[in-house]
Amino acid sequence: MLKMSNIAKIYLTDTVKTQALQPFSLDIEAGDFVAVVGPSGSGKTTFLNIAGLLEDYSEGSYFLNNQDVTHLSDTQKSRLRNEQIGFIFQSFNLIPELNLFDNVEMPLRYRTFSAKERKSRVIEALTQVGLANRQTHYPQQLSGGQQQRVAIARALAGSPAFLLADEPTGNLDSNMADGIMSLLKDINASGTSILMVTHDLQQAAQADRIVEIKDGVLTESKQVEKVVA
Amino acid sequence: MLLYYFKLAMLSIRKTPLLSFLMIATIAIGIAATMITYTVNYMMTQDPVPGKSDRLFTVHLSSWDPNVGYRMKDGKEDIPIFMTYQDATNLYTDQRAHKQTIISFHKAMVRSAAQPRGQATMTYLRPTTHEFFSMLNVPFLYGSPWDASDDSQGSQIVVLSKKKNEQLFQGENSLGREVVIGGLIYRVVGVLDEWLPLPRFYTERSDSYSEPRGLFVPFQSSINNDWLSGTDGSVYCWGGADLIDLNALKASECVWLFYWVELASAELRDDYLAYINRYAQEQKALGRFQREQMNRVMNVAEFIEYNEVVNKDGRIAVWLAMAFLIACLLNTMSLMMTKFHGKGAEVGLRRAVGASKVDIARQFFCETVIIGLAGGAIGLVLALLGLYVTSEVYSHLHAGLMEMNLSLMLLTIGSSVLASTVFGLYPIYKACQIQPSSQLKSL
Repeated sequence: MLKMSNIAKIYLTDTVKTQALQPFSLDIEAGDFVAVVGPSGSGKTTFLNIAGLLEDYSEGSYFLNNQDVTHLSDTQKSRLRNEQIGFIFQSFNLIPELNLFDNVEMPLRYRTFSAKERKSRVIEALTQVGLANRQTHYPQQLSGGQQQRVAIARALAGSPAFLLADEPTGNLDSNMADGIMSLLKDINASGTSILMVTHDLQQAAQADRIVEIKDGVLTESKQVEKVVA
Repeated sequence: MLLYYFKLAMLSIRKTPLLSFLMIATIAIGIAATMITYTVNYMMTQDPVPGKSDRLFTVHLSSWDPNVGYRMKDGKEDIPIFMTYQDATNLYTDQRAHKQTIISFHKAMVRSAAQPRGQATMTYLRPTTHEFFSMLNVPFLYGSPWDASDDSQGSQIVVLSKKKNEQLFQGENSLGREVVIGGLIYRVVGVLDEWLPLPRFYTERSDSYSEPRGLFVPFQSSINNDWLSGTDGSVYCWGGADLIDLNALKASECVWLFYWVELASAELRDDYLAYINRYAQEQKALGRFQREQMNRVMNVAEFIEYNEVVNKDGRIAVWLAMAFLIACLLNTMSLMMTKFHGKGAEVGLRRAVGASKVDIARQFFCETVIIGLAGGAIGLVLALLGLYVTSEVYSHLHAGLMEMNLSLMLLTIGSSVLASTVFGLYPIYKACQIQPSSQLKSL
């Protein structure tokens, strides 16, 4: 479903060349739950941005659902992001002046769904995260954990093939973090692939696979316990 | 989807009220300043007789002093725009145009016959000939113009303007009623409806933006009554004429009458000029017209241009106002840059969830449309207010100069929206270039 071959990322300025990611290859199959770990500045977010088509790579090839994304136009990439990928961010990234319904509906607005279809999907997604009764509330009226649930609902509303989660529990206390992890595992159990960047090795241990990035070098650990240990 | 973009635009405007207000106010002030000057200039340059102005011509003859030129204009010798009595009546008698009229001037104390003498007021009159009204498309509320026989006899009849009819007869149908003009009884045969030709092109430049005169009488009646008023119009003489005696003036080479013709088509212009030149040659054979022959006919647009009815200051003012508008729009553009840059995190998020650059551009474009609409609406109110103040300050000018018609109002709104969207293009372009990955941690 996600196949990266010899992907590398180099940042170039007039005077400096920075190798953010060394060439790496990675396959993720449908239903995989992959955790990405590594110290700050190691290249985790760069990797996630490339996987999410938010940033171009310098070398290699990337197939998403058997489609080569290398030469896609901006509009084609946007459509692919919209239909195949759901994003979950550390700081939730909800728009404060929109209520929960409108926040969750946002990705659906960029598709050709009817108003009825959009409404049905939004309510279903909010129900899945347990906030269907709060759809007219605004983000600032919710706790951090609830806001992250809304962000997950937004990511799920378009029925993506996989979720990209960037430190999804980074701004939450442990109780709320556990709730979010539990929700992500439920989503994964229903068939949605998840690629999650995290600092928390305990949470990483809950994934099926762990990818470690250090100084731009990506390696996959065969055994979760080894990395956690 | 368009409604969604407009909804987002409204939310965005409400989210940053001060910034939005500054953008709208800046556009409104620029648009208002531009539209005030443009409106006055536009109204000054309107076609005063639509559909006919290319067939109306004023006739100018080289009848001036053979020894001294009339005047210099743009470095060349010029001829008078007025005509002598003998030339005007000669051409009028010839009746070689489809229609023709002589236009003179006079002022006198005027009252209705029913009013006491003490209520008479000094009034400017327009002695002319009967085709004046049909040539200039003058609308009548009551009655009709006099006819050719009244012209030849010099009948003591009068056509009143609507305003003068209100002054003398409280706006009633005054046909057949009597008006005392300079002690003589004139009978009302017509009352004009609203008639505000802008510019009032058919006489001197100084009259171009004042209201038409209140009374129109047959030219011949003013001659029969020996009306001569040198202070109410221009009389230019050479050869030692006596301006106190009307008969002497009639026989002199003094120029003081306007002569206008209406041709059946604009293409007949050359034929008519040839006729005028033949007439000049005949006069030359009689000992007149000894200067170089520079006779000419000018249509309405040419005469307005020649007469400098719209002075260059007006055009410069419009350009200055446009420059001010551009300065305002550049200021608005910088405010838009600030605003759209501040929405980088939202742009990043929308791009992440599937919005293309085109989607982002459409969203911000709708915002610039709303800003333009609001700026245009407020600008329109400010412009109307400004025009009202201007009309109060320049009360001697025609009030119609400071009035916006519907098309100008729509132009105000339209140009504001256009300006806002055009000057919003660069900020929109910059917003679309925002790298989403760089913004997603800052919403």
